[in-house]
Parts: sequence; structure tokens; C-alpha cells
Amino acid sequence: MSNFEQFHFDFYQSNYTIDDQEDSYNSYGSNKNLCGTRKTQTIEELPASAFAPSEMLLSSQSYTGQILQPTYSPDTLSHLSYTDGFDEEPPLLEELGINFEHIWQKTLTVLNPMKPADGSIMNETDLTGPMVFCLALGATSLLAGKVHFGYLYGMSAIGCLAMHALLNLMSIPGVSHGCVASVLGYCLLPMVILSSSAVIFSLQGILGTLLALFIIGWCSFSASKIFTSALAMEGQQLLIAYPCALLYGLFALLTVF
Amino acid sequence: QMWQVGKRQASRAFSLYANIDILRPYFDVEPVQVRARLLESMIPVKMINFPQKIAGELYGPLMLVFTLVAILLHGMKTSDTIIREGTLMGTAIGTCFGYWLGVSSFIYFLAYLCNAQITMVQMLSLLGYGLFGHCITLFVTYNIHFHSLFYVFWLGVGGLSTLRMVAVLVSRTVGHTQRLILCGTLAALHMLFLLYLHFAYHKVVEGILDTLEGPNMPPFQRVARDIPVVSNAVLNTTAKAVALTL
Repeated sequence: MSNFEQFHFDFYQSNYTIDDQEDSYNSYGSNKNLCGTRKTQTIEELPASAFAPSEMLLSSQSYTGQILQPTYSPDTLSHLSYTDGFDEEPPLLEELGINFEHIWQKTLTVLNPMKPADGSIMNETDLTGPMVFCLALGATSLLAGKVHFGYLYGMSAIGCLAMHALLNLMSIPGVSHGCVASVLGYCLLPMVILSSSAVIFSLQGILGTLLALFIIGWCSFSASKIFTSALAMEGQQLLIAYPCALLYGLFALLTVF
Repeated sequence: QMWQVGKRQASRAFSLYANIDILRPYFDVEPVQVRARLLESMIPVKMINFPQKIAGELYGPLMLVFTLVAILLHGMKTSDTIIREGTLMGTAIGTCFGYWLGVSSFIYFLAYLCNAQITMVQMLSLLGYGLFGHCITLFVTYNIHFHSLFYVFWLGVGGLSTLRMVAVLVSRTVGHTQRLILCGTLAALHMLFLLYLHFAYHKVVEGILDTLEGPNMPPFQRVARDIPVVSNAVLNTTAKAVALTL
């Protein structure tokens, strides 16, 4: 009994530090991350990968507490469970920061360019949607016979860096890399539509060119709309739309040719 | 622990050397201003006795250089240009940015020698806006392949933007020899660049019999261009000749 109590005491001690780290990782994750003045560099990996190291750290810390208690089963320490037990764990998606409702909202904002954008939806840096759209673009290109995954990733990375630099120069509050990557990724959705139509008919004629131009306009209009509403740069929507149009034009070039 | 110290030092060094905030005032523009400056870049000024004002802004020139890169890429893709060493994107970006930065620096150096009143940012801005004429010309002539049309555009549009740059520089320089050196160099480089871009980066569909075609192949042969009709005709006649002799 005394052993057990000692165990609880030890467990509670290590738990406290685990909770603390847990909190800090949560704050780096989706819900509290502001798209505003955050200039620290560490944040914008996928939430899943951010949680993986914390999990390993957790298990190493908890095991040191357990050396005295070999009979305690490690099951309840799986998957970042902390306070009491398995039942009190939050659902997996919430831990990973994937909020389907928000993803759907942002997708609808992109698909309907006439709808006024809500500036606060970009406060969470969510890279799940963009990753899915990027992979979808690669997959539809694959269906059309072009294996361009490397070019896609390279162009999106460099495009994000360039847009981040430009937006930081042009706006008064700065932006974080994650915010830029998130917005540009979401607005890639119409490009997926273009790429899937490339499977059905070749885009190298007049019709293809017109469709590509229309899709580029749609993408850059949505992207600039979200950027201007998030950064309060009302009069400069056209100035932001143009670099976005150039970037999406590159993607369209990749899709068409 | 060492990681923290190292990270702190690195971020301090980074914020010191890579502080892009110094460029911030050059990007503070409104769309109306950019549009006005784009149109102005095609209109040569008449008053050369009074130093003309040049807007020291980098957003417009940067976007124009990127547009030129995009137009070049489009032209290369539609003409199936093959670049043997390097990539299409790398070549396009290298050419355009190299021209913008290199020629700006060179003219700035010449301006320093000729005692002209111009700063580096102003020179970058001036040359950048001068590329607007290039963009228009290339956009039109990459899609409509008539040589005579290209020459009209080259002289007309290219000439106008060159004249504007030259007029601005003349207004800021004293002395005839200096003006001649500076403006002659700029005009020559600007017009020749347009000529180079047109002929080096897109397929020549018609006009292979055009005698002006000959000297316009760039010395470093980057493209493997083949007109199927001509080569087929050559093959056919050769085969017929060989068959006849046998």
C-alpha cells in the first residue's frame, strides 16, 4: 500500500511536468496559434509530427518513474494520456488539431469566391487541408500521366517562402509561415479541378488555355481575399492577387504541359 | 542547453543580417500608383532640363521581372525548347533577374563615372519599369508568330520605353559626352535584350527562309530546334537521290 502511494506520488510529480509540456505543445498546435505577430520559427510542422517527439519524451519520463513499480502496466500511458486514465483522453483528432468543421468552412470559402471571408478563420494554422489538396493535385496529375510530385513540393515550398517575404514587407502586422502555407494550400483546390479535367481532355488548346486562365483567376482571387481580410490590407487586394496569380500560373503550367 | 544558446545566437545573427525590414518602405504602394507608373513608363518625357522624379519603389519592378519569367516559361513550353544543361525555370529566372540586377548595377556604375544624379534603387526601379515594354512585346509575339509584327513591336514599344529611360537619365546628367555614353549604353542593352529574348526562346515557325534569321541564332546553341517539314523534305530528297543512284 505504501508502495502504491509512493508510486502515485511519483507518478503525480512526473505528470505535472508532462502536463506542462503537453500544454506547451497544445499551444503550438492549432487552436491558440495566432496568425499575427508570431515570429518564432519552431511552429509550423504538421501537428502530428510535433506530437510524436513529445510522446517519446513522455514515455521516457514516465518509465523512469516506473522503475520502482514493475507491476504497473504501461497501457494507460499510451497515446499521451495524462491525468487519470484511458477514458479521460481527448479524442485523437482533437489532439492532432484537425478540426473538420473549420476545414470545411475554409474549403467553402475558397470554393465560393463571392462569399466575404471571415478574418478570424485564419487564426489557426492548419496544414492538414493544404497537404490533402497538394496530394490530390499530384494524384490527379498522375492520372493524367505526369509524375510531378517533386516539382509540386518544390514549387509550393519556394512559393510559400516568397509570398511570406512579400506579405511581411507589405503588411503592417507580420504573418507566419504557417498562415501563408495554409492559405496558399487551401486555394490550390481549384487547381485540382483543372488537373482532373486534364485527365479527360488535353488542355493544350484554346479551351484549355481559357479554362486555365479562369482557374488561375479563381485561385488568386480567393487567396488575395483571405489574405486581405486576415491582414487588414483592404486597398491592396489587387497587389496581392498578382503575385498569387503568378504562382498559380506556374502550377497551371505544370498541369497543362 | 547548448542548443538554446546556439539558437539564440543564430537568431540574433539572422535578424541582424537578414533583416528584410530595410526593404519595407520600398513596397508601400497602392494599386493606382502602380498602374500609373506602368503607363508612365511608356511615355517619354519632354522636359529634359529639369531632373525628373523617379519613384524609388521595388514592388512594380519585381512583379514585372517575375511576369517576364512567366512569359518566357510559357514561350519555352509552347515551343518545346530543350535546355541541355540546367532547367527551364532556372534559365528563365537567371536570365531575367540577371538582366535586371546586372544591367542596373552596370548602368549605376557608369552613372557614377559620368556624374549622374541617380541612386541604385532608382536605377533598379527605372529599369524594372522599362521591362514593361518587353513584357508586352514578348507576350504578343510569342503567341502570334509574325516576324514583321515583332520588328514593329520591337521598334515601337521597345523604343518608347527606352526613350523614356533615356530621357530620364539625360535630365539627370550634365555634359554631352556623359549623356551620350550613359544613354547609348542603356539603349543598346535594352533593345538588344528584347531581340535576344525573342529569338533565343521560342520556335520560329515561319520565316526559316527569312534572310534575317541567319545571324540571330545565339552563339551558345541551347535549343535543338527542328522544323519537321524541312527535315522531312530533305530526307525525302536525299532518299530519292540515293535510290536513283543505286
